[in-house]
Amino acid sequence: MKFFGTLKSLKVTPVRNMLEVRNLRAGYGAINVLWDVSLAIAPGKLTAIIGPNGAGKTTLLRAIIGLTPVTQGDILDEGVSILNQPTWDRASHGLALIPEGRMIFRDMSVEENLMLGAYAKQNRATMQGNLERAYAMFPLLLARRSQMAGSLSGGEAQMLMMGRGLMSSPRILLVDEPSLGLAPLIVQEMFATLAKLKAEGRTIVLVEQNTQGAVKIADHVYLMQGGKVVLSQPANEVNMEKLHQQYFAR
Amino acid sequence: MTELIFQAIYSGLLQGGSYALIALGLALVFGTMKVINLAHGELVLLAAYIAYAVESAFNVSPIVAIPVALVVVCISALLVYLLVDRIKKDRELNSLILTYGIGVMITNAILLIWKADIRSTKSAWLQDAVVLGPFYSMRSELGFFILSLVLMGLLWWWLSKSWYGRAVRAVASNRDAAKLMGINPRTTEIVSFVVAGILAAFAGVALYSYGVIQPPLGHALTVKAFIITVLAGVGSIPGVLAGALLLGVVEALTVTLLSSALQEIAGMGLFLLVLFVMPNGLFGTAARRG
Repeated sequence: MKFFGTLKSLKVTPVRNMLEVRNLRAGYGAINVLWDVSLAIAPGKLTAIIGPNGAGKTTLLRAIIGLTPVTQGDILDEGVSILNQPTWDRASHGLALIPEGRMIFRDMSVEENLMLGAYAKQNRATMQGNLERAYAMFPLLLARRSQMAGSLSGGEAQMLMMGRGLMSSPRILLVDEPSLGLAPLIVQEMFATLAKLKAEGRTIVLVEQNTQGAVKIADHVYLMQGGKVVLSQPANEVNMEKLHQQYFAR
Repeated sequence: MTELIFQAIYSGLLQGGSYALIALGLALVFGTMKVINLAHGELVLLAAYIAYAVESAFNVSPIVAIPVALVVVCISALLVYLLVDRIKKDRELNSLILTYGIGVMITNAILLIWKADIRSTKSAWLQDAVVLGPFYSMRSELGFFILSLVLMGLLWWWLSKSWYGRAVRAVASNRDAAKLMGINPRTTEIVSFVVAGILAAFAGVALYSYGVIQPPLGHALTVKAFIITVLAGVGSIPGVLAGALLLGVVEALTVTLLSSALQEIAGMGLFLLVLFVMPNGLFGTAARRG
């Protein structure tokens, strides 16, 4: 009895990682996509996960937020397993996924889309301030606030999803290919926005195929291939040439 | 003759108010759960029979029965939800069979308890004539039409301004994205069933207050609600209201100009006509279907 008591009061494991993925296996039905993926996400840092198409990057983010079922392994948020929490609980407790593609509410207005980002009860009080911040960050959204979200262009939809994700003041931001299919000028803008968010001290996990841009703003880089992590390196030690060789290696 | 036609249009419009409430319930549940509740008309009929039961047992106006109908119909709607929720495989198809079966059971339960006779209200006050310019209606017809407009206004407010209402629309629009917002889709499904039950309860008491009811009516109401939802295209409240008013008018004109025996077939004819000419519904656009 007493032994357990002292153990507890010692608090032997200081939380060093914001998010930790341990030996994760996940997939869709009979098709397994992730094979024993492990990574550690440091607080306040930008971690980039790069890799070619089909490497499992999107599946990894979807597994972290709970949209893709996990068959083995664990996901820890500040040292606590969140594997048994449904997506909406993870989303209300500080995780935000900014998805790829058009995961918007097409038949609702731009402003309503943003407001839904603050749906969790603890975020409703700060909604107005966050709304103004989102509009300041993406002035285009302000101009389109009462327009149906379905009428937005690809770049505008991407901005909407980014703004919406920030409405919950998340501790951890999971960003899935924000540059996919966007014009080069908007891609630059997206990376500038991410750098700004990092400077604010947010923890960011960025999945990207745009290796150059991602490595430039990242603190740590993971390279994924065929559902596995094949490289883990601090961003400043990354040799781009070597990285590209590994990127295309089969 | 023209007076008769105008009177028929007026009566049809008033009837459309209740139709709209029924159709909105059906559309709401379909939106969040992608389930067509084929027992929805039977839930409406259940409310109508509760109005009859309360009236004949306590000798009071059927309007008094509204709170009782609300409780019974909402609980019944929740039971339907719990049964549908148990379907894990091919829910869209299997729920059709399940809710159809529930509808048959409710109809037969009504038959067992209240017999097959045609029932209508004994309240003279409700059936008194109200004259509005050249148009005549029963007090209950006009009263419940106004009430249905008020309820639709409240529903619109709830769906566009409240957090629960927004969540219902979010789930209907994109289920996975709604989960990312911290919305539990199951909660919104339950909420939409309850709201559909509330609308059904009011519609049922209305039907009994100005019309005649009998056990097979429930099935006909489900069909009408389905027709209106298709007429409206995608479930916007003004679209459903317009579709419901149109169906009410077409039915009333058919009864006045042709025969009351053709009332049901007129609705079907309208349904087929719209499907042929405007496959996306009167107010739906092709883009919103995708």
